[in-house]
Amino acid sequence: MNDQWTDRLSDYLDSELPAGERTALEAHLATCGECRGTLEELRKVVVRARSLEDRPPTADLWSGIYARLTPGRRPAGSPLGRPGVSRDATARSWRVSFNVSQLMAAGIALVLLSAGGMWVALRQPQPAGDAYTPRPGNAANAAVWHRTDVAIADLQEALARNESRLDTATVRVVRENLALIDRAIAQARTALNADPANAYLNLHLADTMRRKLELLRRINAIAAQS
Amino acid sequence: MLTTLAAAVLASLAPLQGVTDTTIAVPAGASLSVNNFGGAIVVHGWTQNRVKVHAEHGSRGRIEASLVGSTLSVKAGSRMGAPSVVDFDITVPQDMALTLGGTYTEIEVDGVRGAISAETVEGEINVRGGSGIITLHSIQGSVTLADATGRIEVNSVNEDVALSNVSGQIKAETTNGEVTLWGIKSASVEATTINGDVLYEGTITDGGTYTFNSHNGDVAVSVPEGANVTLSVATANGDIDASFPLPFRGTPERHRYTFKLGSGSARLEAESFQGDIELRRPAELQERVQRKDKHKNKNHEEN
Repeated sequence: MNDQWTDRLSDYLDSELPAGERTALEAHLATCGECRGTLEELRKVVVRARSLEDRPPTADLWSGIYARLTPGRRPAGSPLGRPGVSRDATARSWRVSFNVSQLMAAGIALVLLSAGGMWVALRQPQPAGDAYTPRPGNAANAAVWHRTDVAIADLQEALARNESRLDTATVRVVRENLALIDRAIAQARTALNADPANAYLNLHLADTMRRKLELLRRINAIAAQS
Repeated sequence: MLTTLAAAVLASLAPLQGVTDTTIAVPAGASLSVNNFGGAIVVHGWTQNRVKVHAEHGSRGRIEASLVGSTLSVKAGSRMGAPSVVDFDITVPQDMALTLGGTYTEIEVDGVRGAISAETVEGEINVRGGSGIITLHSIQGSVTLADATGRIEVNSVNEDVALSNVSGQIKAETTNGEVTLWGIKSASVEATTINGDVLYEGTITDGGTYTFNSHNGDVAVSVPEGANVTLSVATANGDIDASFPLPFRGTPERHRYTFKLGSGSARLEAESFQGDIELRRPAELQERVQRKDKHKNKNHEEN
Protein backbone atom coordinates (compact mmCIF):
# COMPACT_ATOMS: atom_id res chain seq x y z
CA MET A 1 0.00 0.00 0.00
CA ASN A 2 1.35 3.44 -0.92
CA ASP A 3 1.10 5.56 2.24
CA GLN A 4 2.04 8.69 0.41
CA TRP A 5 -1.33 8.61 -1.34
CA THR A 6 -3.54 6.43 0.83
CA ASP A 7 -3.26 8.82 3.75
CA ARG A 8 -4.70 11.55 1.56
CA LEU A 9 -7.72 9.66 0.27
CA SER A 10 -9.96 10.87 3.08
CA ASP A 11 -9.08 14.50 2.36
CA TYR A 12 -9.64 13.80 -1.33
CA LEU A 13 -13.14 12.51 -0.62
CA ASP A 14 -13.85 15.61 1.42
CA SER A 15 -12.55 17.84 -1.41
CA GLU A 16 -9.94 19.23 0.92
CA LEU A 17 -6.85 18.58 -1.16
CA PRO A 18 -5.11 21.52 -2.83
CA ALA A 19 -5.55 21.51 -6.62
CA GLY A 20 -2.01 20.31 -7.29
CA GLU A 21 -2.23 17.38 -4.91
CA ARG A 22 -5.68 16.49 -6.18
CA THR A 23 -4.40 16.29 -9.76
CA ALA A 24 -1.42 14.22 -8.69
CA LEU A 25 -3.62 11.87 -6.69
CA GLU A 26 -6.05 11.41 -9.59
CA ALA A 27 -3.12 10.57 -11.81
CA HIS A 28 -1.97 8.02 -9.27
CA LEU A 29 -5.47 6.53 -8.98
CA ALA A 30 -5.51 5.95 -12.72
CA THR A 31 -2.59 3.58 -12.36
CA CYS A 32 -3.10 2.05 -8.90
CA GLY A 33 -5.87 -0.48 -8.48
CA GLU A 34 -5.15 -0.87 -4.76
CA CYS A 35 -5.71 2.81 -4.06
CA ARG A 36 -8.85 2.81 -6.24
CA GLY A 37 -10.16 -0.11 -4.19
CA THR A 38 -9.35 1.66 -0.95
CA LEU A 39 -11.06 4.83 -2.16
CA GLU A 40 -14.16 2.79 -2.99
CA GLU A 41 -14.10 1.28 0.51
CA LEU A 42 -13.83 4.75 2.00
CA ARG A 43 -16.82 5.95 -0.03
CA LYS A 44 -18.89 3.01 1.22
CA VAL A 45 -17.96 3.68 4.83
CA VAL A 46 -18.83 7.37 4.51
CA VAL A 47 -22.19 6.50 2.93
CA ARG A 48 -22.86 3.96 5.66
CA ALA A 49 -21.72 6.38 8.34
CA ARG A 50 -24.01 9.10 7.03
CA SER A 51 -26.93 6.70 7.15
CA LEU A 52 -26.25 6.21 10.86
CA GLU A 53 -27.04 9.86 11.50
CA ASP A 54 -30.68 9.25 10.68
CA ARG A 55 -31.13 6.92 13.60
CA PRO A 56 -32.04 8.51 16.90
CA PRO A 57 -28.71 8.01 18.64
CA THR A 58 -28.65 8.49 22.41
CA ALA A 59 -31.66 10.73 21.92
CA ASP A 60 -32.56 10.96 25.57
CA LEU A 61 -29.08 12.22 26.36
CA TRP A 62 -28.79 14.51 23.38
CA SER A 63 -32.10 16.32 23.82
CA GLY A 64 -31.04 17.40 27.29
CA ILE A 65 -27.67 18.55 26.06
CA TYR A 66 -29.16 20.39 23.09
CA ALA A 67 -31.77 22.18 25.16
CA ARG A 68 -29.03 23.44 27.48
CA LEU A 69 -26.84 24.50 24.61
CA THR A 70 -29.37 26.42 22.61
CA PRO A 71 -32.19 27.63 24.82
CA GLY A 72 -35.23 28.56 22.75
CA ARG A 73 -34.11 26.58 19.75
CA ARG A 74 -35.38 23.21 18.74
CA PRO A 75 -32.93 20.86 17.14
CA ALA A 76 -33.55 20.35 13.46
CA GLY A 77 -34.61 17.12 11.85
CA SER A 78 -36.85 15.56 14.45
CA PRO A 79 -38.74 16.46 17.57
CA LEU A 80 -35.80 15.29 19.63
CA GLY A 81 -33.18 16.33 17.18
CA ARG A 82 -29.93 14.53 16.67
CA PRO A 83 -26.33 15.28 17.27
CA GLY A 84 -25.24 14.92 13.67
CA VAL A 85 -21.58 15.61 13.28
CA SER A 86 -21.20 19.30 13.90
CA ARG A 87 -20.34 21.43 16.88
CA ASP A 88 -21.47 25.01 17.33
CA ALA A 89 -20.74 27.77 14.89
CA THR A 90 -17.68 29.02 16.73
CA ALA A 91 -15.99 25.68 17.02
CA ARG A 92 -14.30 23.84 14.23
CA SER A 93 -16.66 21.75 12.18
CA TRP A 94 -16.80 17.99 12.59
CA ARG A 95 -17.09 15.82 9.57
CA VAL A 96 -17.37 12.18 8.82
CA SER A 97 -13.84 11.27 7.99
CA PHE A 98 -11.65 8.20 8.31
CA ASN A 99 -8.07 7.60 7.48
CA VAL A 100 -7.16 4.53 5.58
CA SER A 101 -5.81 2.54 8.46
CA GLN A 102 -9.24 2.81 10.10
CA LEU A 103 -10.45 0.87 7.12
CA MET A 104 -8.63 -2.23 8.24
CA ALA A 105 -12.10 -3.40 8.99
CA ALA A 106 -15.06 -1.33 7.96
CA GLY A 107 -17.10 -2.79 10.76
CA ILE A 108 -14.61 -1.58 13.33
CA ALA A 109 -14.60 1.85 11.75
CA LEU A 110 -18.37 2.03 12.13
CA VAL A 111 -18.14 1.08 15.77
CA LEU A 112 -15.51 3.77 16.16
CA LEU A 113 -18.00 6.17 14.67
CA SER A 114 -20.63 5.14 17.18
CA ALA A 115 -18.22 5.68 20.04
CA GLY A 116 -17.13 8.91 18.39
CA GLY A 117 -20.75 10.02 18.14
CA MET A 118 -21.09 9.81 21.87
CA TRP A 119 -17.76 11.54 22.27
CA VAL A 120 -18.87 14.40 20.02
CA ALA A 121 -22.24 14.69 21.73
CA LEU A 122 -20.70 14.79 25.17
CA ARG A 123 -18.06 17.26 24.02
CA GLN A 124 -20.69 19.91 23.28
CA PRO A 125 -19.85 23.14 25.04
CA GLN A 126 -21.90 24.01 28.07
CA PRO A 127 -23.39 27.20 29.35
CA ALA A 128 -21.22 29.13 31.76
CA GLY A 129 -21.85 29.14 35.47
CA ASP A 130 -23.66 25.85 35.66
CA ALA A 131 -22.49 22.54 37.03
CA TYR A 132 -23.78 20.40 34.20
CA THR A 133 -25.91 17.33 34.88
CA PRO A 134 -27.25 15.44 31.86
CA ARG A 135 -30.01 12.92 32.12
CA PRO A 136 -28.53 9.47 32.09
CA GLY A 137 -29.01 7.75 28.75
CA ASN A 138 -28.38 4.37 30.29
CA ALA A 139 -29.79 2.09 27.58
CA ALA A 140 -28.18 3.97 24.72
CA ASN A 141 -24.91 4.37 26.60
CA ALA A 142 -24.84 0.68 27.45
CA ALA A 143 -25.30 -0.14 23.76
CA VAL A 144 -22.41 2.11 22.78
CA TRP A 145 -20.15 0.72 25.51
CA HIS A 146 -21.08 -2.79 24.40
CA ARG A 147 -20.32 -2.13 20.73
CA THR A 148 -17.03 -0.51 21.67
CA ASP A 149 -16.15 -3.46 23.91
CA VAL A 150 -16.86 -5.80 21.00
CA ALA A 151 -14.66 -3.73 18.69
CA ILE A 152 -11.87 -3.74 21.25
CA ALA A 153 -12.18 -7.51 21.66
CA ASP A 154 -11.98 -7.97 17.87
CA LEU A 155 -8.87 -5.81 17.62
CA GLN A 156 -7.26 -7.57 20.58
CA GLU A 157 -7.91 -10.89 18.92
CA ALA A 158 -6.34 -9.57 15.72
CA LEU A 159 -3.34 -8.36 17.70
CA ALA A 160 -2.94 -11.75 19.36
CA ARG A 161 -2.80 -13.29 15.88
CA ASN A 162 -0.41 -10.68 14.49
CA GLU A 163 1.90 -9.87 17.35
CA SER A 164 4.45 -12.49 16.33
CA ARG A 165 5.27 -10.12 13.46
CA LEU A 166 6.34 -7.48 15.93
CA ASP A 167 9.51 -7.20 17.95
CA THR A 168 9.11 -8.62 21.47
CA ALA A 169 10.09 -5.28 23.01
CA THR A 170 7.36 -3.55 21.02
CA VAL A 171 4.81 -6.16 22.07
CA ARG A 172 5.81 -5.69 25.71
CA VAL A 173 5.49 -1.90 25.49
CA VAL A 174 2.14 -2.17 23.76
CA ARG A 175 0.84 -4.60 26.38
CA GLU A 176 2.00 -2.32 29.18
CA ASN A 177 0.27 0.63 27.61
CA LEU A 178 -2.91 -1.33 26.97
CA ALA A 179 -2.86 -2.37 30.63
CA LEU A 180 -2.44 1.29 31.58
CA ILE A 181 -5.48 2.22 29.53
CA ASP A 182 -7.41 -0.74 30.96
CA ARG A 183 -6.76 0.51 34.47
CA ALA A 184 -7.95 3.98 33.45
CA ILE A 185 -11.10 2.47 31.90
CA ALA A 186 -11.77 0.42 35.04
CA GLN A 187 -11.35 3.47 37.27
CA ALA A 188 -13.63 5.56 35.07
CA ARG A 189 -16.24 2.78 35.03
CA THR A 190 -16.16 2.46 38.81
CA ALA A 191 -16.63 6.21 39.18
CA LEU A 192 -19.39 6.20 36.60
CA ASN A 193 -21.25 3.40 38.37
CA ALA A 194 -21.35 5.60 41.44
CA ASP A 195 -22.43 8.66 39.46
CA PRO A 196 -23.98 7.57 36.14
CA ALA A 197 -25.29 11.02 35.23
CA ASN A 198 -21.91 12.67 35.42
CA ALA A 199 -21.09 14.18 32.03
CA TYR A 200 -17.36 14.42 32.67
CA LEU A 201 -17.12 10.75 33.63
CA ASN A 202 -19.20 9.64 30.62
CA LEU A 203 -16.96 11.65 28.35
CA HIS A 204 -13.78 10.50 30.01
CA LEU A 205 -14.75 6.85 29.70
CA ALA A 206 -15.71 7.27 26.05
CA ASP A 207 -12.47 9.11 25.35
CA THR A 208 -10.33 6.51 27.13
CA MET A 209 -12.02 3.67 25.26
CA ARG A 210 -11.46 5.53 22.02
CA ARG A 211 -7.77 5.77 22.95
CA LYS A 212 -7.60 2.02 23.42
CA LEU A 213 -9.31 1.40 20.08
CA GLU A 214 -6.93 3.73 18.32
CA LEU A 215 -3.84 2.19 19.89
CA LEU A 216 -5.01 -1.30 18.94
CA ARG A 217 -5.86 -0.16 15.44
CA ARG A 218 -2.47 1.46 15.03
CA ILE A 219 -0.52 -1.52 16.34
CA ASN A 220 -2.48 -3.90 14.13
CA ALA A 221 -1.72 -1.69 11.15
CA ILE A 222 2.00 -1.75 11.99
CA ALA A 223 1.91 -5.52 12.43
CA ALA A 224 0.13 -5.90 9.09
CA GLN A 225 2.87 -3.90 7.37
CA SER A 226 5.69 -5.86 9.00
CA MET B 1 -0.51 11.29 -15.17
CA LEU B 2 2.38 10.61 -12.94
CA THR B 3 3.68 7.83 -15.10
CA THR B 4 3.83 10.02 -18.18
CA LEU B 5 5.27 12.93 -16.28
CA ALA B 6 7.81 10.75 -14.66
CA ALA B 7 11.28 10.49 -15.90
CA ALA B 8 12.18 7.47 -13.89
CA VAL B 9 15.73 7.40 -12.76
CA LEU B 10 17.02 4.48 -10.83
CA ALA B 11 20.31 4.71 -9.15
CA SER B 12 21.54 1.50 -7.64
CA LEU B 13 24.45 2.78 -5.77
CA ALA B 14 27.36 0.51 -5.12
CA PRO B 15 28.66 0.60 -1.59
CA LEU B 16 32.19 1.68 -0.94
CA GLN B 17 33.45 0.27 2.33
CA GLY B 18 30.01 0.63 3.84
CA VAL B 19 29.59 4.26 2.83
CA THR B 20 27.44 5.60 0.01
CA ASP B 21 27.50 9.20 -1.21
CA THR B 22 25.44 10.57 -4.04
CA THR B 23 23.83 13.84 -5.09
CA ILE B 24 20.68 13.93 -7.20
CA ALA B 25 19.18 16.97 -8.93
CA VAL B 26 15.47 17.31 -8.25
CA PRO B 27 12.79 19.50 -9.86
CA ALA B 28 11.27 22.38 -7.91
CA GLY B 29 8.44 21.14 -5.68
CA ALA B 30 9.82 17.61 -5.49
CA SER B 31 9.22 15.51 -2.41
CA LEU B 32 11.46 13.00 -0.64
CA SER B 33 10.49 9.61 0.68
CA VAL B 34 12.95 7.67 2.85
CA ASN B 35 12.37 4.20 4.21
CA ASN B 36 14.94 2.80 6.59
CA PHE B 37 14.26 -0.34 8.64
CA GLY B 38 16.88 0.39 11.28
CA GLY B 39 19.43 3.11 12.06
CA ALA B 40 18.92 6.81 11.61
CA ILE B 41 17.47 9.31 9.19
CA VAL B 42 18.93 12.78 9.63
CA VAL B 43 17.71 15.47 7.24
CA HIS B 44 18.99 19.04 6.85
CA GLY B 45 17.78 21.80 4.58
CA TRP B 46 19.85 23.83 2.10
CA THR B 47 19.15 26.29 -0.69
CA GLN B 48 20.12 24.09 -3.63
CA ASN B 49 17.75 22.07 -5.84
CA ARG B 50 19.68 18.89 -5.20
CA VAL B 51 19.46 16.11 -2.68
CA LYS B 52 22.71 14.93 -1.18
CA VAL B 53 22.61 11.47 0.34
CA HIS B 54 25.31 10.20 2.67
CA ALA B 55 24.67 6.72 4.04
CA GLU B 56 26.73 4.52 6.31
CA HIS B 57 25.87 0.84 6.24
CA GLY B 58 27.24 -2.65 6.41
CA SER B 59 29.34 -3.94 3.53
CA ARG B 60 26.43 -6.03 2.26
CA GLY B 61 24.00 -3.16 2.43
CA ARG B 62 23.03 -1.03 -0.51
CA ILE B 63 21.14 2.20 -1.04
CA GLU B 64 18.57 2.70 -3.77
CA ALA B 65 17.47 6.12 -4.91
CA SER B 66 14.85 6.58 -7.62
CA LEU B 67 13.21 9.73 -8.90
CA VAL B 68 9.71 8.96 -10.13
CA GLY B 69 7.66 11.97 -11.16
CA SER B 70 8.39 14.52 -8.50
CA THR B 71 9.12 12.05 -5.72
CA LEU B 72 12.63 10.98 -4.85
CA SER B 73 12.55 7.65 -3.01
CA VAL B 74 15.54 6.56 -0.99
CA LYS B 75 15.63 3.21 0.69
CA ALA B 76 18.02 0.77 2.21
CA GLY B 77 18.40 -2.76 0.90
CA SER B 78 20.68 -5.71 1.44
CA ARG B 79 22.22 -8.23 -0.87
CA MET B 80 21.38 -10.97 1.62
CA GLY B 81 17.72 -10.06 1.69
CA ALA B 82 17.66 -9.29 5.40
CA PRO B 83 16.98 -5.66 6.32
CA SER B 84 20.12 -3.69 7.02
CA VAL B 85 20.90 -0.97 9.51
CA VAL B 86 21.75 2.31 7.80
CA ASP B 87 22.56 5.78 9.09
CA PHE B 88 21.34 8.32 6.55
CA ASP B 89 22.46 11.94 6.51
CA ILE B 90 20.49 13.69 3.80
CA THR B 91 20.54 17.32 2.71
CA VAL B 92 17.48 18.55 0.84
CA PRO B 93 16.03 21.74 -0.68
CA GLN B 94 14.47 23.66 2.23
CA ASP B 95 10.94 23.52 0.88
CA MET B 96 10.98 19.82 0.03
CA ALA B 97 8.13 17.76 1.50
CA LEU B 98 9.43 14.80 3.50
CA THR B 99 8.01 11.34 4.17
CA LEU B 100 10.32 9.47 6.53
CA GLY B 101 9.62 6.03 7.89
CA GLY B 102 11.30 3.19 9.71
CA THR B 103 10.99 0.56 12.39
CA TYR B 104 14.09 0.78 14.60
CA THR B 105 14.89 4.23 13.38
CA GLU B 106 15.81 7.56 14.96
CA ILE B 107 14.55 10.50 12.91
CA GLU B 108 15.96 14.02 13.05
CA VAL B 109 15.04 16.95 10.81
CA ASP B 110 16.45 20.46 10.92
CA GLY B 111 16.17 23.56 8.78
CA VAL B 112 13.35 22.59 6.44
CA ARG B 113 10.19 24.51 5.56
CA GLY B 114 7.96 21.95 3.87
CA ALA B 115 5.44 19.33 4.97
CA ILE B 116 6.82 16.49 7.08
CA SER B 117 5.54 13.00 7.78
CA ALA B 118 7.71 10.87 10.06
CA GLU B 119 6.86 7.52 11.58
CA THR B 120 8.92 5.04 13.54
CA VAL B 121 8.22 2.22 15.97
CA GLU B 122 11.30 2.29 18.18
CA GLY B 123 13.15 5.58 18.05
CA GLU B 124 12.96 9.25 18.83
CA ILE B 125 11.69 11.86 16.41
CA ASN B 126 13.15 15.36 16.72
CA VAL B 127 12.10 17.98 14.21
CA ARG B 128 12.95 21.66 13.96
CA GLY B 129 11.14 23.56 11.21
CA GLY B 130 8.43 22.56 8.78
CA SER B 131 5.14 23.93 7.59
CA GLY B 132 1.87 22.62 6.15
CA ILE B 133 0.81 19.16 7.22
CA ILE B 134 3.20 17.80 9.84
CA THR B 135 2.60 14.34 11.31
CA LEU B 136 5.10 12.73 13.66
CA HIS B 137 4.39 9.31 15.19
CA SER B 138 6.55 7.06 17.34
CA ILE B 139 5.52 4.12 19.48
CA GLN B 140 8.50 3.81 21.82
CA GLY B 141 10.35 7.07 21.33
CA SER B 142 9.81 10.62 22.44
CA VAL B 143 8.70 13.17 19.87
CA THR B 144 9.69 16.84 19.76
CA LEU B 145 8.75 19.55 17.31
CA ALA B 146 10.02 23.14 17.34
CA ASP B 147 9.67 26.24 15.17
CA ALA B 148 6.97 24.81 12.93
CA THR B 149 3.64 25.98 11.59
CA GLY B 150 0.68 24.24 10.02
CA ARG B 151 -1.71 21.40 10.70
CA ILE B 152 0.21 19.40 13.24
CA GLU B 153 -0.37 15.94 14.64
CA VAL B 154 2.26 14.56 16.98
CA ASN B 155 2.04 11.42 19.03
CA SER B 156 3.95 8.82 20.93
CA VAL B 157 2.74 5.85 22.94
CA ASN B 158 5.38 5.22 25.60
CA GLU B 159 7.31 8.49 25.80
CA ASP B 160 6.93 12.26 26.11
CA VAL B 161 5.73 14.64 23.46
CA ALA B 162 6.99 18.25 23.40
CA LEU B 163 6.20 21.14 21.08
CA SER B 164 7.80 24.59 21.28
CA ASN B 165 7.33 27.74 19.23
CA VAL B 166 4.72 26.08 17.09
CA SER B 167 1.68 27.64 15.44
CA GLY B 168 -1.36 26.26 13.63
CA GLN B 169 -3.85 23.52 14.35
CA ILE B 170 -2.27 21.22 16.93
CA LYS B 171 -3.02 17.73 18.17
CA ALA B 172 -0.51 16.15 20.57
CA GLU B 173 -1.04 12.82 22.26
CA THR B 174 0.75 10.11 24.18
CA THR B 175 -0.34 7.25 26.44
CA ASN B 176 2.51 6.91 28.93
CA GLY B 177 4.30 10.24 29.02
CA GLU B 178 4.03 13.98 29.40
CA VAL B 179 2.71 16.43 26.86
CA THR B 180 4.46 19.81 27.00
CA LEU B 181 3.43 22.64 24.72
CA TRP B 182 5.01 26.05 25.07
CA GLY B 183 5.33 29.16 22.95
CA ILE B 184 2.23 28.03 21.09
CA LYS B 185 0.21 30.31 18.80
CA SER B 186 -2.96 28.52 17.90
CA ALA B 187 -6.74 28.68 17.80
CA SER B 188 -7.06 24.90 17.95
CA VAL B 189 -5.13 22.73 20.37
CA GLU B 190 -5.80 19.24 21.66
CA ALA B 191 -3.33 17.62 24.06
CA THR B 192 -4.01 14.35 25.86
CA THR B 193 -2.26 11.61 27.78
CA ILE B 194 -3.29 8.76 30.03
CA ASN B 195 -0.30 8.63 32.39
CA GLY B 196 1.52 11.94 32.60
CA ASP B 197 1.17 15.68 32.99
CA VAL B 198 -0.09 18.08 30.36
CA LEU B 199 1.34 21.60 30.22
CA TYR B 200 0.17 24.33 27.86
CA GLU B 201 1.71 27.76 27.58
CA GLY B 202 0.45 29.73 24.62
CA THR B 203 -2.21 31.95 23.17
CA ILE B 204 -5.90 31.69 23.84
CA THR B 205 -7.39 33.20 20.71
CA ASP B 206 -10.95 34.47 20.48
CA GLY B 207 -13.12 31.76 18.94
CA GLY B 208 -10.45 29.11 19.48
CA THR B 209 -10.92 25.63 20.96
CA TYR B 210 -8.50 24.10 23.45
CA THR B 211 -8.72 20.64 24.99
CA PHE B 212 -6.30 19.30 27.61
CA ASN B 213 -6.83 15.94 29.21
CA SER B 214 -4.96 13.48 31.41
CA HIS B 215 -6.07 10.46 33.39
CA ASN B 216 -3.27 10.14 35.95
CA GLY B 217 -1.40 13.43 35.67
CA ASP B 218 -1.83 17.12 36.36
CA VAL B 219 -3.04 19.55 33.74
CA ALA B 220 -1.44 23.01 33.84
CA VAL B 221 -2.71 25.67 31.46
CA SER B 222 -1.66 29.27 31.03
CA VAL B 223 -4.49 31.77 30.85
CA PRO B 224 -3.19 35.18 29.73
CA GLU B 225 -4.69 38.24 31.38
CA GLY B 226 -7.51 39.63 29.27
CA ALA B 227 -8.28 36.28 27.63
CA ASN B 228 -11.86 35.86 26.42
CA VAL B 229 -12.53 32.25 27.20
CA THR B 230 -15.18 29.89 28.50
CA LEU B 231 -13.30 27.49 30.74
CA SER B 232 -14.57 24.04 31.57
CA VAL B 233 -12.50 22.41 34.29
CA ALA B 234 -13.05 18.92 35.60
CA THR B 235 -11.38 16.41 37.88
CA ALA B 236 -12.69 13.29 39.57
CA ASN B 237 -10.10 12.93 42.34
CA GLY B 238 -7.86 15.99 42.13
CA ASP B 239 -8.02 19.67 43.01
CA ILE B 240 -8.54 22.77 40.97
CA ASP B 241 -6.17 25.65 41.63
CA ALA B 242 -5.66 28.99 39.92
CA SER B 243 -3.31 31.94 40.21
CA PHE B 244 -6.28 34.27 39.82
CA PRO B 245 -9.72 34.38 41.45
CA LEU B 246 -12.20 31.75 40.30
CA PRO B 247 -15.98 32.10 40.53
CA PHE B 248 -16.18 29.14 42.92
CA ARG B 249 -14.34 27.93 45.99
CA GLY B 250 -12.56 24.59 46.31
CA THR B 251 -13.37 21.82 43.87
CA PRO B 252 -16.96 21.59 42.61
CA GLU B 253 -18.76 18.51 43.83
CA ARG B 254 -20.07 17.63 40.41
CA HIS B 255 -16.49 17.29 39.13
CA ARG B 256 -16.93 19.83 36.35
CA TYR B 257 -17.45 23.55 36.36
CA THR B 258 -17.83 25.96 33.49
CA PHE B 259 -17.24 29.69 33.74
CA LYS B 260 -16.43 32.65 31.56
CA LEU B 261 -13.54 35.06 31.50
CA GLY B 262 -14.10 38.22 29.43
CA SER B 263 -16.50 37.58 26.57
CA GLY B 264 -15.95 33.81 26.79
CA SER B 265 -15.33 33.64 23.06
CA ALA B 266 -12.74 30.83 23.11
CA ARG B 267 -13.54 27.45 24.64
CA LEU B 268 -11.06 25.64 26.83
CA GLU B 269 -11.43 22.29 28.56
CA ALA B 270 -8.90 21.18 31.18
CA GLU B 271 -9.62 17.78 32.67
CA SER B 272 -7.86 15.14 34.74
CA PHE B 273 -9.34 12.07 36.40
CA GLN B 274 -6.68 11.58 39.11
CA GLY B 275 -4.62 14.75 38.90
CA ASP B 276 -4.97 18.45 39.61
CA ILE B 277 -6.02 21.23 37.29
CA GLU B 278 -3.83 24.33 37.44
CA LEU B 279 -4.76 27.59 35.77
CA ARG B 280 -1.68 29.80 35.74
CA ARG B 281 -0.42 33.02 34.26
CA PRO B 282 1.95 32.52 31.27
CA ALA B 283 5.10 33.71 33.11
CA GLU B 284 4.64 31.04 35.79
CA LEU B 285 4.52 28.24 33.27
CA GLN B 286 7.38 29.70 31.23
CA GLU B 287 9.53 29.54 34.34
CA ARG B 288 8.43 25.97 34.97
CA VAL B 289 9.32 24.90 31.43
CA GLN B 290 12.71 26.58 31.67
CA ARG B 291 13.44 24.81 34.97
CA LYS B 292 12.39 21.53 33.41
CA ASP B 293 14.60 22.14 30.37
CA LYS B 294 17.60 22.89 32.59
CA HIS B 295 16.98 19.73 34.58
CA LYS B 296 16.65 17.67 31.42
CA ASN B 297 19.84 19.12 29.90
CA LYS B 298 21.72 18.44 33.13
CA ASN B 299 20.59 14.83 33.15
CA HIS B 300 21.49 14.53 29.47
CA GLU B 301 25.03 15.83 30.13
CA GLU B 302 25.48 13.52 33.09
CA ASN B 303 24.47 10.52 31.01
